[in-house]
Amino acid sequence: MTDLILLLIKASVIYGGLLGCAALMTLAERKVSAWMQYRIGPNRVGPFGLLQPLADGVKFIFKEDVTPDGANPWMFRLAPLMAAVPAMMTVAVVPFAGDVTLFGYDFGPLSIADLDIGILFVLAIGGLGVYGVILGGWASNSKYSLLGGLRASAQMISYELSLILIVLSIVAMTGSLDLREIVAAQTGTFLGVLPDWNVFQQPVAFVLFVIATFAETNRLPFDFAECEPELVGGFHTEYSSMKFALFFLGEYCAMIVMACLTTVLFLGGAEVPYWADAPWFLQLPAFMVKAGFFCFLFIWVRWTLPRFRFDQLMHLGWKVFLPVALVNLFLTGLLISF
Amino acid sequence: MVIVQRKSLSLAERLYLPEVLRGLSITFKKIFQPAITRQYPEEPLPTTEVTRGQPRLVVKDDGNIACVSCGLCEAACPAYAITIDGQETDRFIEREPERFDIDMLRCILCGFCEEACPKDAIFMSNELELADYSRSGLVYDMEKLKRPASALKGRMDYIKRINDRWQTSSST
Repeated sequence: MTDLILLLIKASVIYGGLLGCAALMTLAERKVSAWMQYRIGPNRVGPFGLLQPLADGVKFIFKEDVTPDGANPWMFRLAPLMAAVPAMMTVAVVPFAGDVTLFGYDFGPLSIADLDIGILFVLAIGGLGVYGVILGGWASNSKYSLLGGLRASAQMISYELSLILIVLSIVAMTGSLDLREIVAAQTGTFLGVLPDWNVFQQPVAFVLFVIATFAETNRLPFDFAECEPELVGGFHTEYSSMKFALFFLGEYCAMIVMACLTTVLFLGGAEVPYWADAPWFLQLPAFMVKAGFFCFLFIWVRWTLPRFRFDQLMHLGWKVFLPVALVNLFLTGLLISF
Repeated sequence: MVIVQRKSLSLAERLYLPEVLRGLSITFKKIFQPAITRQYPEEPLPTTEVTRGQPRLVVKDDGNIACVSCGLCEAACPAYAITIDGQETDRFIEREPERFDIDMLRCILCGFCEEACPKDAIFMSNELELADYSRSGLVYDMEKLKRPASALKGRMDYIKRINDRWQTSSST
């Protein structure tokens, strides 16, 4: 019984944090883009515009909810949920910090579920997110939406393949699918000075993984599911009100989860550099700083690079990423066996 | 026929990633550049005496309106925005407007009224903002148009300077 209560507490804290971060990301996106363009960005709602996401939320709720003629009503309603829920589910296995003791009570490690197939769970559930996109595109009964959905699915399949191969080389090095084990394997130092993080041991895999996450989360150099100049709004052309907001919530949650995953796989998760036994209240900020950097990277890249062409994306995915990931996996295998 | 010589890309450019990093460093530097945004309602646009804003009626220092309702501005107005009804007064000038309306929705801010006025009674102010909830609210009556001479002093001096120059050059 206490286990259940403990789990509920942890789940509400982590999900509250995730949704709060997703809301903050929408603000950060607008703020950072503004700064990069010598603007100020939203600054009217609350101090420094910090309450802007709240105002946006209220606005979304009160907008008219339109269902187009000829749309499949049930699928149309289901799609935003299908997009948002898997992205949120994957955060359950992310190990945010070690054992939490608060007010003299041991809450256990800070993650909702420590699955021993953690990374597999993330990839499996994360891969479901594309169903929301393609379902939304198909159910809208609009050619732009359908094209956006199809592109999203083609893109996700191409990049998920390389993503999994890259993850596989990390898994091979660690010998475990458990995210906590992967984090634990990264403690200590590498070559004497650097922390023993996978980013130093697997630099190629790191670069590929980061780029693949952009394709996986539909972010800007690869946001072909939306692609405003060609497809009006892509898969969410026909969506309005809270359904539209759900798609974006899912997208931002997926970004945060991917940032967390990159941190766990390559930057030693919650580890404070050179201090393996750091208490949880230092580990959590360390994790947040690392993951926050990748969240910032998502925004930073979006406001720097133009969109690719779709054939360039496919070329990059199949002719560059896949062979490099395979070679990387092969070399990792050689390294382990000798 | 022109054959365009395409510059062949170096290895770093073909790898794409170094160029991406270069782009990222540029955008990152720009974050720290101060914003050029003007926070409009709080920081209004700077105006000079040359600014031709909405026309306003001068109230002289003795508290009387300078207008004698001669109707010249009404006649000069190309947009028919001005409506004047005159009445008699005991003051030395004998006439003053009973009603002086400017339909700000018709006004094109051309400044002809200011030019036509023989009594220096109407001037283009530096007031630029125009908003209301109804059309009738944007037909400004005399009470809304009155401004003390001190508020319009810069513009009055400027017009006087321009007129003086015009008169000197035409007489020679």
